[in-house]
Amino acid sequence: MLTTSKIVLILLSLSIMVRCLRSMLREHYEPETWAFIRSGRETLPVNHWENIIGSSRSADIQVEKPGVRRVHAVLTRNDIGQWRVFDVFSRSGVWVNGAQVGPQGSQIFDGDTINLAGTVVRFQDIGQDKRVKLEASRSAAGKRISPALTLLELTVFQLFLLMQHAIFASAEDLPSIALGFLALIMLEWSCYNAMRIMGRSGFEVETLAFYLSTLGMSVAATSTPGDMYKQILLTIAGVLLFLLCGSWLRSLKRTTAMRIPVAAASLLLLAVNIVASDTVLGARNWLIWGGFSFQPSELVKVAYVYVGAATLDKLYRSRNLFGFIAFSAVCVMALALIGDFGTALVFFVCFLVISFMRSGSIATVFLAVSGAGLAGFLAVSARPYIAQRFASWGHVWEDVYDKGYQQTRAMSAAAAGGLFGKGAGSGWLKDIFAANTDMVFAVICEELGLIIGLCAVLAMLTLAFFAVRSARNGRSTYYAIAACSAMSMLLTQLALNVFGSLDILPFTGVTFPFVSRGGTSLLSCWMLMAFIKGADNRRDASFAVRPGERLRSIGDPTGKGKEGKA
Amino acid sequence: MKKITNRAVSVLLIAAFVILGMLTYIVRYVDEGEDWALYFSRLNTDATGQVIDRNGELLASFSPTENRFAGERTMRVANYHVTGDFWGRSGTGVLSSFWQNMRSFNHVVGTTRSKTGTLQLSIDARLNKTAFTALNGEKGAILICNYRTGEMLCMVSAPSVDPADPDWVPEDGAYLNKGISGTFIPGSVFKLITAAAAIENLKDVEHRSFYCEGVTDFAGVEITCPVEHYSQTFEQALANSCNVAFSRMAVQLGQDTMVEYVRKYGFLDTHTLDGVTTAAGSYPTEFVGDPELGWSGIGQSMDMICPYTLLRYVCAIANNGILCEPTLLLRDEPPKSSRLMEASTAKKLAEMMSFNVAYSYGGKESFPGLALCAKTGTAELGDGTTHAWFTGFLEDDAHPYAFVFLVEQGGGGLTVAGQRVAYTVLRQAVRS
Repeated sequence: MLTTSKIVLILLSLSIMVRCLRSMLREHYEPETWAFIRSGRETLPVNHWENIIGSSRSADIQVEKPGVRRVHAVLTRNDIGQWRVFDVFSRSGVWVNGAQVGPQGSQIFDGDTINLAGTVVRFQDIGQDKRVKLEASRSAAGKRISPALTLLELTVFQLFLLMQHAIFASAEDLPSIALGFLALIMLEWSCYNAMRIMGRSGFEVETLAFYLSTLGMSVAATSTPGDMYKQILLTIAGVLLFLLCGSWLRSLKRTTAMRIPVAAASLLLLAVNIVASDTVLGARNWLIWGGFSFQPSELVKVAYVYVGAATLDKLYRSRNLFGFIAFSAVCVMALALIGDFGTALVFFVCFLVISFMRSGSIATVFLAVSGAGLAGFLAVSARPYIAQRFASWGHVWEDVYDKGYQQTRAMSAAAAGGLFGKGAGSGWLKDIFAANTDMVFAVICEELGLIIGLCAVLAMLTLAFFAVRSARNGRSTYYAIAACSAMSMLLTQLALNVFGSLDILPFTGVTFPFVSRGGTSLLSCWMLMAFIKGADNRRDASFAVRPGERLRSIGDPTGKGKEGKA
Repeated sequence: MKKITNRAVSVLLIAAFVILGMLTYIVRYVDEGEDWALYFSRLNTDATGQVIDRNGELLASFSPTENRFAGERTMRVANYHVTGDFWGRSGTGVLSSFWQNMRSFNHVVGTTRSKTGTLQLSIDARLNKTAFTALNGEKGAILICNYRTGEMLCMVSAPSVDPADPDWVPEDGAYLNKGISGTFIPGSVFKLITAAAAIENLKDVEHRSFYCEGVTDFAGVEITCPVEHYSQTFEQALANSCNVAFSRMAVQLGQDTMVEYVRKYGFLDTHTLDGVTTAAGSYPTEFVGDPELGWSGIGQSMDMICPYTLLRYVCAIANNGILCEPTLLLRDEPPKSSRLMEASTAKKLAEMMSFNVAYSYGGKESFPGLALCAKTGTAELGDGTTHAWFTGFLEDDAHPYAFVFLVEQGGGGLTVAGQRVAYTVLRQAVRS
């Protein structure tokens, strides 16, 4: 019975992974088309809301004519379909219908000519009918690989997992464990139905997040069965926040306009944290309000991604990163002051990804890394307990009763699980301190086996590859950068958590996204998923993206006759 | 847009790092997973196990709550090199080398829980106690093996340790099982090897006369005997342990032949005793002149042998040239056997070792009740002290035992290792 359920769990896990992988990474999805640029006889599609016009191969609209610079101009579209052109590195200027474009750019309409250093191209907006037609010709998400079936597999997975818990859990814990899994099943199907009602067919990101949440639910059930209600409430809250954030991201204008207030709010939050927090385990990263403990740094993660991403015209008009670097430095220093070095490292890696994506400058990254290396060295010499973690790194088996206490037990239990695990709820590692947070990968390996442990890692990797792939077809660099930096944060967290507990990296004590126990961290993981959804531009896939063909109804942005001037 | 999204590869770098880390873990899991898994499993599963000797005597046991050894201190100390301990201090004991027999692990299903394992050894723990006591505080090693089955009956190394109450400062070599992990200058017991080479390579050696005037000269280097043996047969030369005769034989055989035989009988190799690797001996394999070759033929020069390898050799002699690989486990399966030497050579050597006892060692009067075939050795260490060796076997179908006794710096091979230690222990072995 137990053996059968173990095999079923593994087969379902593998099937869920393969289905999501194929749907997200293997299927071909065409880019959106928003307008055309006519250059001589050529007609070039405009696939994004933010486009570089230039002679470079990496230009979105490549115009290889003498005088056209590698990055010459930027062509953007806003939420309501108004187009603007900006002069970025032209040197010789950009003219629209004969008038030179100023520093604020100039709005363009269907049929307008754009003069790029003597090369004249014509901008052609597309009409509602054509847009609908083009949109209809794109492949829809979930058409080939049904998301409902994948979710059904996940549901069966959850029921089998619950069955294993029923074997090992005590009679008094079982009702709350069962309630936890049933609530999760109801939650995921409600979420799925809500998407169907909205006409959205992409559900792979949510499925993977729910898969990881299921593992988190299993860890909660084995380690703290008395707290199942809390886990259920947090998951529901996480999904609601995910929907809220995703909906918020639908409007690029609204999103970018709120960057500064969000930055201010997160700095305020960190300040409150430093002043009014309680020290738990060497790090003062907890705020305790009326019985609820709360980690402000987790929310700041979401804010950091939100603030760090930027639109293309912004990138080229204000070409420095000073504001962002200052903001990052304050965040990282605040975390260091709080004593949460693991999270500071997560922020730092995310900072590298954002600053590299925004500037493309290896030099900036190099400078940042050397600066951080110096800061890290100071931190290690100033805080003896960090130095001690570095010293025991790679030598944990030499001191299994003190410095290597947690890691050796994690490694032993993880190996004892073999490929198939000992059964959900049957492990011994769960009783070791911080097993359900810092050593959660080992708890999964011990109880559910290495294969499911690897599936958990693969789920995060799939999300990361998907974010990178979606970024390519994104409407705005804001969504692309946000999705990529959110994933860099989650992946770094995963690496520090998993490899820290297995003695491949020093032990830092950050959480495994979705799986580790922890209230605020679960909320922040769901919120970060909204950024992935914001970059998912497959046809009718994501609730966080406004469908293309309905945009015209918002307003008549052209303001001119459709035929325009010849 | 494309320019920016091309930079998204930076996320793939982190992903690559994660993949690399996971691969590292998988490689380590395959490599070391077993050690990891078993390290804490005893503490955290309800596995219990015990090690008992051939008569069911308890040597060690463990359960989730307690580790135990034999109740009597001398039993624990005498058997320490057989059992080892739960902390892997000795490295060669069965508790470390048969870990997985009691608590199993494989990479697919992980650890198997709640196993109750009993490991029965071929060792006779009481005989070990007798052997350890017989050494009377001197350093040394004793190995006794049934040459028909390969079962080890006795394995003692001194000094030893009380695993239940180890000394803070252990004696030198207390954690080393000298019988299998040590090598020593063999002295005259090496003549058994030279003799085998002579039997197979020197024509009519059995009918030759070996004249000993007490000293022989190789290019100005003298090798002497304590007394002149005058005219003697091949058998008498071995019984007299005549240095003159055997050093001349080695020179006559030549270095290549000597090396061939030393190698063929496994004296230069490591062996495994139930998975534990034994020490390899040494012999001059690079070219040396006649004086050195002469010395090497009588077990001096740079000769070093591991007592365990010598045990294998005498087991083969006793068993018509066929070696049953020694084992510490009491098993139903037939022994793993192979031919180590020609049957006729083994027969001849066995006769000569029987003749040794009758002609030189006092015969039945010195060793009453034992059908003994043996060879002594008194190996000079160069500082005036000698290792005392006594090796051989019992020509007794009821007690087919081969043995090696070594008393380090103990004095004379016959008087100390033979008449004092070996006789006491072998009498006990035959009685029990």
